[in-house]
Amino acid sequence: MKASHLSDDRLIELCVLDEASATEHQHLAACARCDARRVRLQRLLDEVSDTATAAADAAFTTDRLTRQQARILAHLQHEGRPARVIAFPAGRAPHEPVVSRTRPGSRWIAAAAVAGLVVGAIAGRFGHDYSFGRPGAARVIVARTVEQPELRANGSTATVREVTASISDDELLNQLEIAIDGPAAAALQPIDDLTPRAWEIR
Amino acid sequence: MPLTAAGASAAPAPLSRDSQLAAEIKGLVVGGERDAARERYGELVARQQRRAVRIAYQYLRDVHDADEAVQDAFIKVFTHITSYREDLPFEVWFTRILVNACLDLRKSRSRRLRWAVPMSSTGDLPPTDPVAPEPSAEQRLVSRERTNEITAAVESLPARQRTVFTLCHVAEQTTAEVSQALGLSEATVRVHLFRAIRKLRRLLQREPRR
Repeated sequence: MKASHLSDDRLIELCVLDEASATEHQHLAACARCDARRVRLQRLLDEVSDTATAAADAAFTTDRLTRQQARILAHLQHEGRPARVIAFPAGRAPHEPVVSRTRPGSRWIAAAAVAGLVVGAIAGRFGHDYSFGRPGAARVIVARTVEQPELRANGSTATVREVTASISDDELLNQLEIAIDGPAAAALQPIDDLTPRAWEIR
Repeated sequence: MPLTAAGASAAPAPLSRDSQLAAEIKGLVVGGERDAARERYGELVARQQRRAVRIAYQYLRDVHDADEAVQDAFIKVFTHITSYREDLPFEVWFTRILVNACLDLRKSRSRRLRWAVPMSSTGDLPPTDPVAPEPSAEQRLVSRERTNEITAAVESLPARQRTVFTLCHVAEQTTAEVSQALGLSEATVRVHLFRAIRKLRRLLQREPRR
């Protein structure tokens, strides 16, 4: 009998779906090539399913399956029952009158915290108002320029300012402008360029 | 859950033990004997559980997700047991619910991963139980490589082909049962199965190194 070789699709069918017909049986018995193809494919499919099965069985041990079954049944036990009403606040029965369960000690702590907060807020509101009604005369720390002998000896033109007295806002701004225009500030320009402005970061 | 005509036209086969059990549970639930139904259901869960976790694990590749999908499916089955049609195999009905649970979980997992910070890639690997006798280190390495190859090959299949292949070959269902479970014609199932096997053969077929 001169039968043609089995197609790939037919080999797949024989491996996973159908029984071989009598003719196919004869062909497979006679044709070593087709039989080898069938055996290789069957071995591959077995290997794939064995791998899948082994991975799942390793992940789901008998113990794990038992626990899973218990969880399923426990879940079903509550299935179909009316929902339990949870009292709110927790621990209070629905008809129980609301009474404070806090201890006196913790109430004192809460009261002290509130009092501290109020005092802090008031102090914050009035604490920085040192002028007592004199506008433009906020107390600021201001410096008087003095020349340090050791700096002069090094040839440096830098000066050190000494804190002396209170000045008005205008005087402070003037002095700031003078300081900014000075040669020492020029060295800080690159840093100033790198520093974002408030309006840039909004 | 409507099934396609492909499955409904199949010749009536004698009901399996699981189908009989499911019909009995349905009768108990309908009769108001919920506790008795639940007890019987424990038996059904035990009979289907191993197969269910194999399918879910093959599908999701994550122990916790597979665990959750299987639990969801079993709970859904019991809560909807009154809609079970006794003329159809229980395994088919259950498989359909399980596959849907896996799909839902896969979807929610992809949503979750979109926002998650990547963790160690080895974190969710299942613990492997050692089996005696211990293979050599080389054997273990070769075996692990081959396992990874097979897993990657199956993962690379398109979703439909993977599902059909898993149900036909891992869950050992017939193409008629798979067509009922997935709502596809049997011819379509066969096409997907053929394509899956062809691709797997292309990716994997070589004599294993032993």
